[in-house]
Amino acid sequence: MSNLFIAELLRFRAWALLALLAHLAVLGFFARMVDPLQQPLFVYQVVAAVYGLVGLLLGLYQMGGYRKPNTWLNLLHRPIPHIEVAQALAGAAMALLAIAVLLPLLLVIAAQSALTARVVDLRHWGLPIAAWAIACASYLAAACVMLAPRKSAVFPVVLLIVLMISDASGIWVLVLQAMVLAWLAALLACVFKPDLCAPPRRALGELLLALPMQFGIWMFLAALTLVYQTGWMLFGTHPLNSTPPAGGYVEASRADGADLLLAGLDLATHADAALWREQVRLSEVHGTQVQIEEFAARQQLTNPMPMEFDDDTRRTRYIFSHDDLRFHGVALADGSRDGVLGVGGDHAAFDLPPLPLGRSALATAHAVYAYDSETRQIHTRIALPPGETLAALPTPAGESMSVLSDQALYFYDARSLANAQDVLAPRVRVPLPGAIGSLDRVDLIELLDGHLLSLVYGRGGIDGPGDSYQQLLMVDGAGRIEPVARRELSPDFPLWLRHYDWWLSPAMHASRRVLANLFADPAPLRVRDPAPRPASMQLLAAALMLASLLAALWLSARQGLQGPRRWLWVAACGAVGLPALIALRLLHADRDAPVMEMAGDRALNLRATTCRCQRSGARCRSPRVLRRCAAVAALARPGARVMGCAKRRSRRRPRLLARRASAGCPRTSLAHCRAWRQPGPEVHGTCAVLDESGELAMTNRRCSP
Amino acid sequence: MNNDAVIETVQLSKRYGNTLALDHLDLCIARGAIHAIVGANGAGKSTLFRILLGFLPPTSGSARILGRDCRALTPQDRGRIGFVNEEHTLPSWMRVSAVIAMQRRHYPRWNQQAFDGVIGHYQVRTEQKVSQLSRGERAGFNLALALAQSPELLVLDEPTLGLDVVAKRAFLESLLYGNASDTCTVIYCSHQMDEVERVAENLIILERGQLKNMSAPDEFCARVSHWIADIPFQGPLPASVPGLLQVQRIDGLHHYLVLDQDEDFGEFLRASGARSTRSMPVSLDRAVNGFLAKNHAAPLAA
Repeated sequence: MSNLFIAELLRFRAWALLALLAHLAVLGFFARMVDPLQQPLFVYQVVAAVYGLVGLLLGLYQMGGYRKPNTWLNLLHRPIPHIEVAQALAGAAMALLAIAVLLPLLLVIAAQSALTARVVDLRHWGLPIAAWAIACASYLAAACVMLAPRKSAVFPVVLLIVLMISDASGIWVLVLQAMVLAWLAALLACVFKPDLCAPPRRALGELLLALPMQFGIWMFLAALTLVYQTGWMLFGTHPLNSTPPAGGYVEASRADGADLLLAGLDLATHADAALWREQVRLSEVHGTQVQIEEFAARQQLTNPMPMEFDDDTRRTRYIFSHDDLRFHGVALADGSRDGVLGVGGDHAAFDLPPLPLGRSALATAHAVYAYDSETRQIHTRIALPPGETLAALPTPAGESMSVLSDQALYFYDARSLANAQDVLAPRVRVPLPGAIGSLDRVDLIELLDGHLLSLVYGRGGIDGPGDSYQQLLMVDGAGRIEPVARRELSPDFPLWLRHYDWWLSPAMHASRRVLANLFADPAPLRVRDPAPRPASMQLLAAALMLASLLAALWLSARQGLQGPRRWLWVAACGAVGLPALIALRLLHADRDAPVMEMAGDRALNLRATTCRCQRSGARCRSPRVLRRCAAVAALARPGARVMGCAKRRSRRRPRLLARRASAGCPRTSLAHCRAWRQPGPEVHGTCAVLDESGELAMTNRRCSP
Repeated sequence: MNNDAVIETVQLSKRYGNTLALDHLDLCIARGAIHAIVGANGAGKSTLFRILLGFLPPTSGSARILGRDCRALTPQDRGRIGFVNEEHTLPSWMRVSAVIAMQRRHYPRWNQQAFDGVIGHYQVRTEQKVSQLSRGERAGFNLALALAQSPELLVLDEPTLGLDVVAKRAFLESLLYGNASDTCTVIYCSHQMDEVERVAENLIILERGQLKNMSAPDEFCARVSHWIADIPFQGPLPASVPGLLQVQRIDGLHHYLVLDQDEDFGEFLRASGARSTRSMPVSLDRAVNGFLAKNHAAPLAA
């Protein structure tokens, strides 16, 4: 094994060294221009994609070369277990990726830590490991793609998608990557076998391949809505690509604030409704909406946005350190260290990593801070009640400033916010009538004594589930809240489309959510209103699952699956639905060659497409030739019998008319032993024909008309 | 089950889509000697080897190699079976010395003497990379590696394909004058009848996945005879000629290549209007070619 490992290392050593140097050069240039550890998430995603591509290419090239029939035979036909060969090849590839990906990243981070004043946290040392893990996972996925049976080859890549959709952060990302790596390594061990066309022999291998297959098929089917919607757009009637339907959510989300308030007031029965309509026409409409999708989590590997801000007056850049929860100053002029910033005069540590959201505004999930350049201090200005999460920064609302949290809309005195430096108390708190994840927009006008609010719900559900509505509230100066009107917004998309990915497979739909939330911190800003499933959609999903179960019963028998493996597949098709059924079809071919002892102990291959006439010796390879076969006449003769299960097809009769013959056909081969007979003497398809003397006359299968 | 057989197949079939590569093949190859397997392209030779080595599943039937079911070969079993394919697939990026070191470590019964005995026929230097070897040198190196494994069974799948005459001769001499045939059973698959005639003690003919002949090459030659008849007019219809493999008319004389015909065939020709007949022995090449050409695909016009 060590010889193979070393040989593979030597094979790619030049490429690995070249990649090491190129990678170092790019990272070095990048580090000279910007701080590579303080980049937005998008940059990290692009770089991770590049590492993934490197791993993919290596896997495709390496295993693509080995999977050629003679090379594969030469590699595996040796007196060492296949698993050891796989370990040697994969181990060498991962070592090469460590040289090309891991080592340069470690060197650059070490150099940044030792030679610059930039912040290097503990979390940053996890970045090279994560990058290497992504490259290795991509390599293993590509290796599996090359070695898995052709029809299921692409699905190992689905495991990489799990990494993409995951919301895990920090050390949990590495845990998730380790799990994906372990899965792919186990899958590689299962598909690394002499016969590359066959599915994994052991049940574990089949499970390791079948689960990503089902998830991948579901994602593919779900993505087909894009094709439908693209076609819809071409017709020019798509709600998002044309004039939106009146009274719908799309129209509301695009409407002018005043128009939206007026539309809501049309349904109001309040005594002051007419007065408010007038005020809407005369007043300035203010608005706010959710501005923050997620906050930075402590010791997360990447940043939602650069964790730094500049004090232009002092020519200092402050970079946040997750290790001590304080900002560290770096002089822009010479790159030297320039103080530490915490909260208040004593520079206490932040309770959570704050996001720099403006020139001098910082925000954590529970508070808003302001930086004062003169005093070089950070002050807490707004502190939300415990359990609430900030959703939007202070926004002007007339003489007030509105602040949105996941549970309420707050109004603060604008002058105090601008002038004072202490923690402000809200003048009014307006609890939100719905979940923050569904809130699309808030529009308001100032009244003489209070505010008139319009809240539109339905975000994230344009072509998905969930009800959309507009809620109008009146808040007076004393903080009393009065509902004014509720306007239901009509769905812009058909019902079946809004619930498409759910009814396709409720199990896979739930799996996606589970996978996305695996090891992830709670995300209060993504909480949405529960989406009720209409009874019709539930019925559709149930019907699809039942149909899949019945189809799996038929298909698994046809494929010759037996025992627990068959019943597990049937159960999976019943639980998962269509994706599992398609996976079953792709993973297992039809049963190969049921050889039967019939007619004088003669072994018959009923799957052979070639038909041989026992009398004339002629071989017939197509239905057209089959008609000429002399043995066909046996059917037309009195006394001739069709052995097995005949299946007739007639234009006037129902398609299925199966019957079991009196002899010869075991029940298990029911699906494989059928004859297609049309009016006239021609026989198409599977049949075993006996003439009047009981002698075998002709066998054939699958010469369907 | 025959315990003395190195290869045994029972009703072995393999289908590729609509093509039947092996058709209920019953084959039993005894231990010892060099067995040649010949057949036209698509006769199922390589498919048979792949099934025997566990790299293809049979569609039906069973196959055993060295007494073990081909689907359950262990690493130890593989160590007892040497295999040389026509491409002489070796890691082109490795040096010869590295390949030798790797094989020596993998095969516990490594026989350096056997290796040296074969590689001596070629000018292969250990510091060379495999990619720098000529095709003939690679073939010799591959054979040396296979023989040094001290296999009980050595399968050579068209090993001289693409070699020039010098390389081919060197390869055959390596095989013949080494001790391979003394210590192991050799299955030699080739289209080159001169090679088969030279090395094989048993001739196995496969045609369309079926076993058509298994005998000593001389015995097979004896079954095929070449008759020349002087028939002034049209000869007998081919369908009526017993055992006919091939018929040609050259310079007014009818040449018949027939299978399993004795002196009675001369009588048949004379009864069909021949003024004179003459029987000639045929070479193995001619006999096998005539045998395989009988059912070989040909354009309709022909």
